[in-house]
Amino acid sequence: MGTQALGQAPDAPRGLAGLEQRLARTPPVSTDFVEYRFSHLLKKPLRSSGSLDYRADGVMVRNVVAPVHETTEVDGDQVRITRAGKPTRSLSLQRAPQLRVLLGSFRALLEGKLTPLQKEFEVTLAEEATHWTLTLKPRDPVLAKHLARIDVHGLGDKPSCLEALEPDGDGALTLFTVAPAGNALPSRADLEHTCRATSTQGAAAK
Amino acid sequence: MLLAAWCGLLALGIFWVQSHLKVSADLRLFMPSPRTEEQRLLIQNIGESPASRLLLLAIDGDEPAKTADISRRYGAALATREEFAFVANGAQPPPGIPEKLLAYRYLITDSFDAAPLDEHRLTAELEDRAADMASPAAGFLEEWLPRDPTLELLHLAQRWQPRAEPHQVDGVWFAADGKRALLLVQTRAAAFDPDGQTQALATLQDQFSRARGDSGAQLTVSGTGYFSAVIRNRTQTEATWFGSFDTIGLVTLLWLAYRRFVFTILGGLPLLTAGLAGLAVVSLLFDGVHGITIAFGFTLIGVAQDYPIHLFSHLRRDETALTTARKVWPPLATGVASTCIAYLAFLMSGVTGLAQLACLTITGLLTAGLTTRLLLPRIAPLPGTDPAQSAWLARLDRRIERLPRPTALYFAIPIAAAAVFLWRPEGFWENNLSKLTPVPPELLKRDAELRKELATPDLRYLLVASGDSEDDVLAALEGLDTRLEGAARDGAIGSFEHAAQYLPSAALQKKRQAALPESAALKDMLARAVVDSPFEADVFAPFLADVERARTLSPLTHADLRDTPLNLRLGSEIFSRDGRWYGLISLYDVHDPKAVAQLAAAHVTFLDLKSASEQLVAAQRSHILLCLEIAAALLIVVIAVTLRSWSRILRVLAPMMLTTLVILAVLRASDVSLSLFHLISLVLAAGLGLDYALFFEHAADDPAEQQRTLHALLVCSATTLLVFALFSLSTVPILQAIGITVSLGVLSNFFLALLLTRERAKA
Repeated sequence: MGTQALGQAPDAPRGLAGLEQRLARTPPVSTDFVEYRFSHLLKKPLRSSGSLDYRADGVMVRNVVAPVHETTEVDGDQVRITRAGKPTRSLSLQRAPQLRVLLGSFRALLEGKLTPLQKEFEVTLAEEATHWTLTLKPRDPVLAKHLARIDVHGLGDKPSCLEALEPDGDGALTLFTVAPAGNALPSRADLEHTCRATSTQGAAAK
Repeated sequence: MLLAAWCGLLALGIFWVQSHLKVSADLRLFMPSPRTEEQRLLIQNIGESPASRLLLLAIDGDEPAKTADISRRYGAALATREEFAFVANGAQPPPGIPEKLLAYRYLITDSFDAAPLDEHRLTAELEDRAADMASPAAGFLEEWLPRDPTLELLHLAQRWQPRAEPHQVDGVWFAADGKRALLLVQTRAAAFDPDGQTQALATLQDQFSRARGDSGAQLTVSGTGYFSAVIRNRTQTEATWFGSFDTIGLVTLLWLAYRRFVFTILGGLPLLTAGLAGLAVVSLLFDGVHGITIAFGFTLIGVAQDYPIHLFSHLRRDETALTTARKVWPPLATGVASTCIAYLAFLMSGVTGLAQLACLTITGLLTAGLTTRLLLPRIAPLPGTDPAQSAWLARLDRRIERLPRPTALYFAIPIAAAAVFLWRPEGFWENNLSKLTPVPPELLKRDAELRKELATPDLRYLLVASGDSEDDVLAALEGLDTRLEGAARDGAIGSFEHAAQYLPSAALQKKRQAALPESAALKDMLARAVVDSPFEADVFAPFLADVERARTLSPLTHADLRDTPLNLRLGSEIFSRDGRWYGLISLYDVHDPKAVAQLAAAHVTFLDLKSASEQLVAAQRSHILLCLEIAAALLIVVIAVTLRSWSRILRVLAPMMLTTLVILAVLRASDVSLSLFHLISLVLAAGLGLDYALFFEHAADDPAEQQRTLHALLVCSATTLLVFALFSLSTVPILQAIGITVSLGVLSNFFLALLLTRERAKA
């Protein structure tokens, strides 16, 4: 994904179909990310960063570089997880259907295929000028127990931030940007503000 | 009056037999009683092992999404049916420990066998969990982490899941082509229980047409049980069809021979009585009569149709039927007695099914012989014609009279037969049970393909652990784990599955229990491990509680797992028979059977179902052959005592002995290997040959008697040939084997008896 926001042409089509057109990418697609996880099990939010790639061969790779090196490859229903200093673990998504749906939604966002998402999620779109928010609510009740909704915020033709909210208030927030230097950990409220404030530059600056 | 009483008795007999006859379909009635441990296991496992009771299903013909929907509906509907022990199509939740037994995971898991649960381990696990929290799966793990920070439940689920699951579309299994939905069901009926399988197949079809709705999707079924049902039903269809055709043929032949319809009806009475008497005696002596006994026994009793023919052909207008019966009785009685002696061999064979067959046949033949001698003459009318007066028969007789008596055949046939046996020494006997019921190659190809897609366990190789108690067996299974894992690593097998993976032995559970840290110690360890982790200090209280519970539980037993999904797997993998316990080790992808055979140990037997069954068949046959030899010797004694003259004995025995050689030589020359069914047919043919020879011999040199005997034997051999020639056209190998053997026997016996036994008539 480019890092530069494109100005939106005045006659750009609106609605889900319009957004789908604007987001459409042909793999390979790659983006940096920094993710914050908020959990009642954790002393403080857990920050991780790295890159997310959707390779031309259809394999999605989540490369975490901090705090520990970890590579997760999603190849169809097979997931391979390689952690620094450990043997590669394999697992089949057939036994984890909810995780499969979740990973499927990431892949769909990376290549901009929004229509198929409607099978698993209730998809709504809010647009304001060039800023948009795509909300995905899981249809599967089992998945809904773990995931209340996903909000994807974006500007023009690219998503900038993803918020996953769990029913118990826990959740994760992913900014599609290079991780800021240092160990500074903003508050959840600040991060949410940044996420919803649409500007990737803004998030990076914080 | 007598006729009415006889018919009344028959009706009563039919009623009694119908209410007392229990027909069984257990093919093991036809297997010898096991002598060794291996044979006992073999008999148990043929058709009963979990792998052999699997049916493989495929649904195709609609678009994938709709096919997946059908598979889901179908799978759910089948799961409620009694016929199936389990149903799998990918939509079922993985086997797990039931909620109330969750604490047992620390006694079931092998995670802490190598190194105990200590601070070092806890620190490492918490580091891993922290990394997990940074993954997309975090939301799902959060729920379990406080209770299960070492992810034992996930570890067990992965250990228990099928090694290579088929692909999935919309949450159900699909073939690699993405077009066919795949399902796997395990029948409760054994694979070689054709009745149970037919019932299961009917349910499969019925439920499928409901689940399919108005879709054009098609169901394909495969598997051992499916084959046995298909072959049984084909055999039954053909046998029924032949039966009706034969009845029409017999009635026509009998009418042509005697020109009075009353003879046709009377001729059927001894046979009918014989069948009923045979069935009655068998159902009195045995618990259940096998379907094969009935079908086959009636074929053998069919010989009794000859008895009234002998009487009818010898009837004369100038003597009473009783006098005629008295005259034909000596050869008839000798024939009946010697045939019965031959079947005595099967009574002694030690095989329940064969003993039933012998019992049915002997009772039937005796009954038919006695009714022909005692009852039939009292109701038989005067004949329309006397064969001795028939012009065409007289012409035929004169022609036969002019034929040479080829005594050279006494030597020529044995020499020719010996030459054939020398020329084709290999494959004399058929040991492969499945060759008797061959499955069409296209069905086998489809079966192999589905087995590959569904990754089912190996059908041929199996390891079986046995012991005095369930726990002994579990311990034996555990004792083999290291070597099984080694075999999997070396590539000898793909993987394995056995009951101890779900339910460890009590000893192992207690050992694991003892290795778990005490409550206070574990609390301290955890506290130190949590300090350096990102986790809150107090979130793991449920974990501490579970480990403490696990330390005090009494070991998990099979009974605790009743009514849980795990019991489905356990039930087919560990069971008791006759006071002894057995545990099966299913093997997947066997690449090196020799290496697997090496795994056999003190209480673990390696079973190669194919070669073991071949050995069993061979052992059974040599026993039967021995019995037949004894019977043959007895038979010769009976004939010798009756005839009291070497030349007469030789002339009576020659056709049957030479015919046996002729049949064997012809079969060998056509490269047919002999099975048990050939043996039974050879005995049947020999019995016929003996009858023919006895009657020709009895007619001596009296031209009129010779002509009547010729008439009788022409009718006899024509009716028998009609029945068995039809059988030889069958597509079912068993029926075909019987048909060809007996047809050859009838022809050879008739001509040899005509040429070698019949004396030249007085000038």
